Formats: sequence, structure tokens, C-alpha cells
Amino acid sequence: MREVIQLFDNAAKKLVDAELFDEVTVEHFLETQKKWRPIVKDAAQQLYRAGADVGSIPQHFHWDWTSKEADLRVLAFTFFGISCGGELQGLMKLATVGHVARHPEQKGKPIVYVDYLETAPWNIKVLTQAQGKNSRFGAVGSRLIEAAVRKSQEEGFKGRLALHSLPSSEPFYIETCGMTALERDPAKQNLVWCEFTPEQAETFLS
Amino acid sequence: MNSKKTMTLNLTDQEMRVLEELSAQKDLSKTAILRQALKLYQLVDLKLAEGGKLFFEDQKKEKAELMVL
Repeated sequence: MREVIQLFDNAAKKLVDAELFDEVTVEHFLETQKKWRPIVKDAAQQLYRAGADVGSIPQHFHWDWTSKEADLRVLAFTFFGISCGGELQGLMKLATVGHVARHPEQKGKPIVYVDYLETAPWNIKVLTQAQGKNSRFGAVGSRLIEAAVRKSQEEGFKGRLALHSLPSSEPFYIETCGMTALERDPAKQNLVWCEFTPEQAETFLS
Repeated sequence: MNSKKTMTLNLTDQEMRVLEELSAQKDLSKTAILRQALKLYQLVDLKLAEGGKLFFEDQKKEKAELMVL
């Protein structure tokens, strides 16, 4: 699957065409290690040295997508990527089996679980600001969450979606996307479980 | 979306009854239930092939290994 979507070019202040795709390969994982990880580590160190609030420092500097290479062949997982300007702008791994809703109205019903979602570091404002630059593209995270909701609908889950949010991403999932923050999960580093009901997912897409 | 292929599936009355019950409980179509089952089977099979073990833990926290063919 490949489809044209739109991102917001912050420098040009206009929407630009980008590509959403699910044919993610190990080459994309290698690209994140080569191009993204050094920037994320450097910016996180600068923020730490500058005394930034711990909750605002991205905690994904240790992520390694190449460790998920074997999952590319597993039906239970789906990957999505977004490219623009010849570069990878975002990457997401979904689990479409083995997770159920925790929302009181949806309890026990199957959901799509966002296992990992990462935006290229040059699109994350707090990281680019740490390096004295402006972020390049807006809406990468939103476009990926939209793809996840559509995947949930395609699976017959009616848009039900959930994830464990890193502290620095909580405002995005809860305030920007409109997910319900249900509980801190002691089994998952006390991260907050955020969930879309079918109605919330529909509202997010509209 | 990936293109889909169609197949005919013959089930016994009991199998169909279970499929219909699961479909109602999970708020999923019968096709979606079977696709879930296939995904889960492949995932478990891969983990076992890698040397993993599958356990169920009961409410007393006692674990029982599940054999998968």
C-alpha cells in the first residue's frame, strides 16, 4: 500500500505531499539508526545539560528499530512509514492481535496496539529547538495515528486503538488526538495507557 | 490495503457455534475472528520455533505450559 498524504512544511508554511506506505523494510530501520538516532541522542543530551524538565526530554534515544527486523514477516504486526523529500519522516509498528480494550465501555474487545511510533527528530520541536533550529514537517504523528485507526477499522475493530505513552508524548495523544488516558501501567514502566473508543476514533478522523 | 483472496471453509455445527459465540463476544465478524486466529497461530509458532515456551498463569499465579502442535 502506498498513498499520498499531506504534511505541513513549517518553513514554507504550506501543506506538501508525502507518501504513507506499509511496505517497510530493514532498509528503513537502518536509516533510522544512521540518520535519526545520533540527532535524538545529541538533542537529549543538550536538553539534559540545559536542565530541562525530565518529562520534556525524549525517552526514545535508545530505541533500535533494527531489532524488530524479524517482526516484518509476522502477520500479527503491521508497519507504516511516511516519506517526504526523499527521507523517512516517521515510522510506526502496530500489533493487531493479542491486545484488548481497557476502557470501561469497551473492555475485552480487540484493539490495534501502537507498539512503537517515532517521528524523525528534525520534526520534533523540542529536539530541534535544543539544536537552535526549526522543525521541518508538522502532522507526521497525526498522519501515523490516522493510519493506525484505519487499520483498526480494516481489521474490524471499529477504530479501537491503544498505546502506552512516553511522558513527553502524553500531551500529543491526550490533548491533540483526544485519546482517553486510563491508567498508569506498572507492567510497562508505569507509562499511561491511552485509548480510542470507536466514537473517539471517528471524531479524530473527521 | 493488500488484495484479498477468497476461500470456502467447511465447519462442523459445533465449530460454527463457537465461531458465532466468539464473534458476538468480541464484537468481530466471523472472518475477522479467523484472521485473528491465524495471526496468533503464526506468532505462537514462530516463538516456539525460536525456543520460546507458552505458559498460562492462573489466579493463584501458578503457571502451566501449553503445548501447541
